Amino acid sequence: MSEATTTKEDRPGNAQAGTRSADLTREDFETAQEVRWCPGCGDFSVLKQVQLVLPKLGIPRENFVFISGIGCSGRFPYYLETYGFHGIHGRAPAIATGLKLSRPELSVWVVTGDGDALAIGGNHFMHVIRRNVDLNIIMLNNRIYGLTKGQASPTTDLNVRTKTSPVGTADRPLDPVALALSLGATFVARAVDTDQKSVMEVLERAAAHKGTSFVEIYQNCHIFNDGVFERVSSKRVRDDNRVMLEHGQPLVFGNQRDKGLRLNGVTPEVVSLTVGLHTVDDLIVHDEKAPGTGMAYVLSQMRPPHLPVPMGIFRDVEEPSYEDLVASKHEVVKSKKGKGDWHRLTHSGDYWVVQ
Amino acid sequence: MTFVVVENCIKCKYMDCVEVCPVDCFHEGPNFLVIDPEECIDCALCPDECPANAIFPQDEVPEGQQGFIALNAELAKAWPTIDARKTPPPDADQWKGVEGKLKHLERE
Repeated sequence: MSEATTTKEDRPGNAQAGTRSADLTREDFETAQEVRWCPGCGDFSVLKQVQLVLPKLGIPRENFVFISGIGCSGRFPYYLETYGFHGIHGRAPAIATGLKLSRPELSVWVVTGDGDALAIGGNHFMHVIRRNVDLNIIMLNNRIYGLTKGQASPTTDLNVRTKTSPVGTADRPLDPVALALSLGATFVARAVDTDQKSVMEVLERAAAHKGTSFVEIYQNCHIFNDGVFERVSSKRVRDDNRVMLEHGQPLVFGNQRDKGLRLNGVTPEVVSLTVGLHTVDDLIVHDEKAPGTGMAYVLSQMRPPHLPVPMGIFRDVEEPSYEDLVASKHEVVKSKKGKGDWHRLTHSGDYWVVQ
Repeated sequence: MTFVVVENCIKCKYMDCVEVCPVDCFHEGPNFLVIDPEECIDCALCPDECPANAIFPQDEVPEGQQGFIALNAELAKAWPTIDARKTPPPDADQWKGVEGKLKHLERE
């Protein structure tokens, strides 16, 4: 993320604003608002990790902006002592793109949900990632429409009963990570809300990455979709059902770390590491920096029950950000034609005076 | 911020709270449970579950029980996690609401 380039001394009349960014703590990012999500909601965990990560970034509070859309995720900016927008349904990425282009020094975060980002917001989701705008997207994926009380979302599994699918959904779900990768996202990660350490790690890495950082959080909706992520969330079983991606390391998983993943052609398959037929040398080695998205996409297709769910950082590469590219286009034009004259532009061509 | 288990849990130890905690932040002692303040996400699910009404947000810990804030933090480091309810002590109901139970707290 870009560091703040203005300090409070640069802004006249604002000498007391903000706290020195070196001294910030979690409390500095808590607001006086009572945090209102349903008791038990996974969003509490994500809010806590964000409040723990932001003080570490060396950025003054006034340079953070959190932008949300509609849903339970939409409440997020109210609970952070930063600037924020509570935007209209699905449009947070558009607002964020405009903001980042005009104020590239700000640390811009989009908080969204599976409904907000992938149903009504699908278009904006696509383009912000395609453009690689330097901002961070946190998707709180609970696989349901929570705020509106239990309708199916674009990530709800096939055949699941919800208020809009009394005999089960007929739609195949989207996988947000797979979608982000196919859009060429330069940073893609996934964590589950109950694994707080893992949530913090992906948020820190997302913040450090320049370009669009997409983070999917498996978030439990206690009231309308309780337990949908149980197998990768419950401490008793999660290590058998998920594989933690680590750059440069072979894909090993299991409670006893006794299983691994190797490629059979282009399909991952689980092998035992204790039976004697395979060793760690046969396994897929994770590469976050691979220039193409192909291998990461293959990993993103792994689904229970036969394959573990990959968690952690799928991809972390550097490509020019949208605002840098736009700025370079401006330089090209300025070098040829000089700086624009707004007054001349608005008074050129045909115009009418209404009398 | 965090939630805090206070005196009324001692010698009741109903453990209903443990069943609902999404992040398994409860730690178990011989006759008391504590919440690890570093793990608690303030989701507010546990207070209503406790039959002894022994869990409060840190800012609302009752008069005279502020010492339990530090006690939860201290004992959470020493005691193992508990993620499933067990059978409470047979005399749990007799101890519910009894005052001055701190002296009965067993650390080992």
